[in-house]
Amino acid sequence: MRFDSFLNMFKYYADNGDGVALVYDDGDGKKEIRFSGLIDAVNARKAELAAAGKTSIGIFCSGKKDCIITIFAAVAAKMQVVMLDESLSDKVLAAQIQKADIDMLWADDEETVKDFEQYMNGGVEKDAGRILFFTSGTTSAAKAVVLTEQSLCASAYNGSQKLPLTADDTLLCVLPLSHVFGFVCSLLWGLSCGAKVALGRGTRQLMVDFDYFKPTAVSLVPMLLGFLLKNELLNAELNLILVGAGDCPDSLLEAVAAMGKRVCFGYGLTETSSGVAISVSGDVHAMEICPDDEIKIADDGEILIKAPTCMMQGYYKDDESTAAALKDGWLYSGDLGSFDSDGKLYITGRKKEILVLPTGTKIFLPEYEGAIAKALGNSELAVILLRGKPVLIIRESEDMSEELLTKVASVMRELPQSQRLSQVIFKQDPLPRTPTGKIKRWELQKTEEEKYGNNNEV
Amino acid sequence: MATITRSELLEQIVQTVYECAPDLEGKELTEDTVINTDTGVDSMGMTLIICRLEANLGVQIPQRQWKKLYTLGDVVDAFESRLK
Repeated sequence: MRFDSFLNMFKYYADNGDGVALVYDDGDGKKEIRFSGLIDAVNARKAELAAAGKTSIGIFCSGKKDCIITIFAAVAAKMQVVMLDESLSDKVLAAQIQKADIDMLWADDEETVKDFEQYMNGGVEKDAGRILFFTSGTTSAAKAVVLTEQSLCASAYNGSQKLPLTADDTLLCVLPLSHVFGFVCSLLWGLSCGAKVALGRGTRQLMVDFDYFKPTAVSLVPMLLGFLLKNELLNAELNLILVGAGDCPDSLLEAVAAMGKRVCFGYGLTETSSGVAISVSGDVHAMEICPDDEIKIADDGEILIKAPTCMMQGYYKDDESTAAALKDGWLYSGDLGSFDSDGKLYITGRKKEILVLPTGTKIFLPEYEGAIAKALGNSELAVILLRGKPVLIIRESEDMSEELLTKVASVMRELPQSQRLSQVIFKQDPLPRTPTGKIKRWELQKTEEEKYGNNNEV
Repeated sequence: MATITRSELLEQIVQTVYECAPDLEGKELTEDTVINTDTGVDSMGMTLIICRLEANLGVQIPQRQWKKLYTLGDVVDAFESRLK
């Protein structure tokens, strides 16, 4: 079903069987809320938000029931809703709050709100109706992508057409909702199909949530899939795993297939409100284009996407970046791809200077390397991805190891765990460069992969 | 719970790291050890270590603090302040 608003989505299922929408446990046992109950809760919260008279709300996305109700309520109230990632450093969060003109904050705990209230400012125009997701940049320079309720509903529709769920299914929501893949594929996809969405109880319960909620479907990033497989945490009832937000090693996909579970791979960007292509059968890397989307490959191999119903409105207050990314309705993805003879899309590499981690987060290399170079006073360096982790290659004496790590600590402390350097490789010779002076990162990548192992493991 | 000294706390943290990342057994780990670079423990591994320490020590570190843990000394600080 196509929906143009979250509340209309809930109303449809409330009027047609009124099944369970959310399953959750806030510490006092498993509880359920039906679609009609979800509407009531959202409307009640909407009235509270309207009474507050604010225009731009920043929501720390914990993924708990109250958080989800607040997101839907703020959207229904036509506020500008800014999705904040709790795992980011305080400095980055403060910058995001200022950048998005937030005049109201919401978090599970009052302490968090109090800590960041000082960064709020005057808000935006009334009835803005925007939903802002920050691209997963490593510093305060991350861009805010402007999406809407309609674009997110359209993206969920795409998912529901390619991978339909039913009211008998339970989709486990364990991904951060501040990332569009998490919001669409671990929450909205289920609700748009009338399936139950079980809300994961947080990091501490991750080890037991699969056994506790017994989901039939789940969306995961590669690193999480690797962790769950390694610790044998996937439940027997689980029969569909959607993997996305980053390259997934074949070894993981094969391990899932060997368990007799269906595994699909999705490709999309924050700018397209999540997935534009999904593999649904056969080769898990061979993806079908979603119903509302059009994809073509530029002469240089870059994937260009036209997704009228799912496309971002632009980057928040950044016309220059918007114009660079969106030309004549086509989004220049920065990813490289090709089609096979059946029209299936394959991702073959990256054009932009970006590393995509197995957690789904992106490292924008000029920014990341620049911060390290500044801290060290040495720009003869490059960051590559080895075994799913960022590794620094630097022209420096190995004797400087201790001093280097001390100097770079101030940069690393500001980053989430997954984005911190895992290794430093010292080189005595100059790093290879192109005739225009750019470091040949991919040559370094190839050389080090041969030495240390490839990226086909997480 | 009986008072635990800082060095005992570090020892317990080191043992937990060894349990969760057996490849590291025998490697010298100190308060200055940088978790990512010196141990190669990733964010999921870190989650496992903290959860196990929380269960063993009977205190919880607020998740907002997890992102501030950079060295094993930071982990000692976090637990020490909760155990006081």
